[in-house]
Amino acid sequence: MLKPQINDLLTQTGPGTATGAVFRSYWLPVLLAEELPEPGSPPVRVKVLSERLVAFRDDDGNYGLIDEFCPHRGVSLWFGKNEGNGLRCAYHGWKFDVGGRCLEVPSEPPESRFCDKVTVTSYPLVRIGDLLWTYMGNPDAQPPLPEWEFALVPAEQTFTSKRWQESNWLQAMEGGIDSSHVSWLHSGGLKSDPLFKGAKGNEYNLSDMRPFFEVADADGGLFIGARRNAEEGHYYWRITPFVLPSFTMIPPRGDHPVHGHFWIPIDDENCWVYTFDYHPVRPLTPEERQAMKDGHGVHNEYEPDTFRPLQNKDNDYMMDRDAQRRGETFSGIKGIAMQDASLQESMGPIVDRSKERLVSTDTGIIKARQRLRRAAEELRDHGTKPPGVDPAHQRVRSAAVVLPKDEDFIVACREMLKVQPGVRQASV
Amino acid sequence: MTPLPQQTGLSHCSVAASAAEAGYRIDGFEFIPRSTRVIALDDGAEQLLQDCSRLPWAGAHFLAFEGAQRGSGDGLTGDSALRTLDGEAVWLSEELVGADVTVMVATTDAAAPRAAAIGQACAVNGIMTAGVVVQSGRDASRVTSSLRPYAMVLLVSAEIDDVPAVLVALRA
Repeated sequence: MLKPQINDLLTQTGPGTATGAVFRSYWLPVLLAEELPEPGSPPVRVKVLSERLVAFRDDDGNYGLIDEFCPHRGVSLWFGKNEGNGLRCAYHGWKFDVGGRCLEVPSEPPESRFCDKVTVTSYPLVRIGDLLWTYMGNPDAQPPLPEWEFALVPAEQTFTSKRWQESNWLQAMEGGIDSSHVSWLHSGGLKSDPLFKGAKGNEYNLSDMRPFFEVADADGGLFIGARRNAEEGHYYWRITPFVLPSFTMIPPRGDHPVHGHFWIPIDDENCWVYTFDYHPVRPLTPEERQAMKDGHGVHNEYEPDTFRPLQNKDNDYMMDRDAQRRGETFSGIKGIAMQDASLQESMGPIVDRSKERLVSTDTGIIKARQRLRRAAEELRDHGTKPPGVDPAHQRVRSAAVVLPKDEDFIVACREMLKVQPGVRQASV
Repeated sequence: MTPLPQQTGLSHCSVAASAAEAGYRIDGFEFIPRSTRVIALDDGAEQLLQDCSRLPWAGAHFLAFEGAQRGSGDGLTGDSALRTLDGEAVWLSEELVGADVTVMVATTDAAAPRAAAIGQACAVNGIMTAGVVVQSGRDASRVTSSLRPYAMVLLVSAEIDDVPAVLVALRA
């Protein structure tokens, strides 16, 4: 349960907000690289942390992320023409480069340097892996580039998708931390999904429906361990890292690719869910990659030419009560991604956490909220850099292991929970 | 008044999940407060709970483990002596009557056998257990290991204020 003022603190991420400032401390994914596929590509609207921006690539291939609206009369630069070294406003031809500098004001005399006095807000935009990342904070405090493993492995080993979720970022992200729902909401997927099925660990999931949980602090956030009974004298552990502000990684199953998410606020009632799948040591197979594109695993299908899920609230998520009755899905919604999103969106755009009745298996969520709140207050009140900004905090992995009952998972898995190039993930 | 979905042709979910519809949630609800027992397993934990207990709670009992046993000599299957933070002696079996959840708080590995005694008693009575280990820079792996069999949820936390945060979240 959270008091309304704390709920506001954590859910509001626009300019001038405490948690917005936390997000601005990090490099954030804001586009798939394929959305600006080549130099001179058409501009793309980007809304992030309640700021409206437009992204483009000049003819030299440099990426830019600038204010969407021309400072002249407030027209959207999305209509603009990408010309050579900048984006030209379609209304009166004002032109801006990737750094937001005004290059031309055509209505002024050629000798005029009025344009030197005009700049629009701009943020750096860089490509790492399949994603374009931006940093929206104080330029003097710009952190090193991110070092998430999924973004740094060779292209053939990784796949990333994104989808629009029509809810606040926090209730979406909390689903990634709360593994107690898996045995219920996603119970159908473990047996049937091509990106999950066949792993030895699944047997433990399905035979022990009451996991015990352990939540431990980590430098960048938390490790959340869910343990189930395995063979005599042993536990099966599934360990999820949470790195502030909104990264989680799902523990692996067998030799399947490993996946995880970022939840990036669009505004206070919407977020992007960036979902990655990668294998640390081998290329994804054509079948794996096609399954991801087809919306299996933690990915989803889309409405044509959009990033809006095909199953959405306007079609009741294509609810199938017969499938629910037959036990193929627990909620009647197909696919793990939309099973989560449908319920998280049903909470309302920003869930009122003052009405919650949490139980002790929600401790991971409770602790995550504490870490986020602390990060926001420390940054606001003391200028303290939040956890997770340091690239060392990003070099994490999830793990699935079987351990003797008396072994501490944090101690036993210390090395497995770090990125080890060339070493496969710890999995069962 | 918002029309019913059948009247507008809109799907139920797109109306139901809107911000406007969120305003129709039932405001306030009848509930019987959770019955929480918060038990300090060592002196450091007791000091922590002294501060915590002064906050307003919905009936949580704050207790300390005393150690004396009755009923069995093995320290595990008998009944354990506790005391309230005001010093009143009580027995674990009496405190667990009507309890929904027991939260064990530990700061050292001296708490290991105590966690076992409480955990066993809660397991027999079907009471949910949680453990909070406040590390404060020390290696708490032994006390974590000792709580692990008996705590359905374990928070290995370095932060003192995580204890009240967990209790507030649980409406203790």
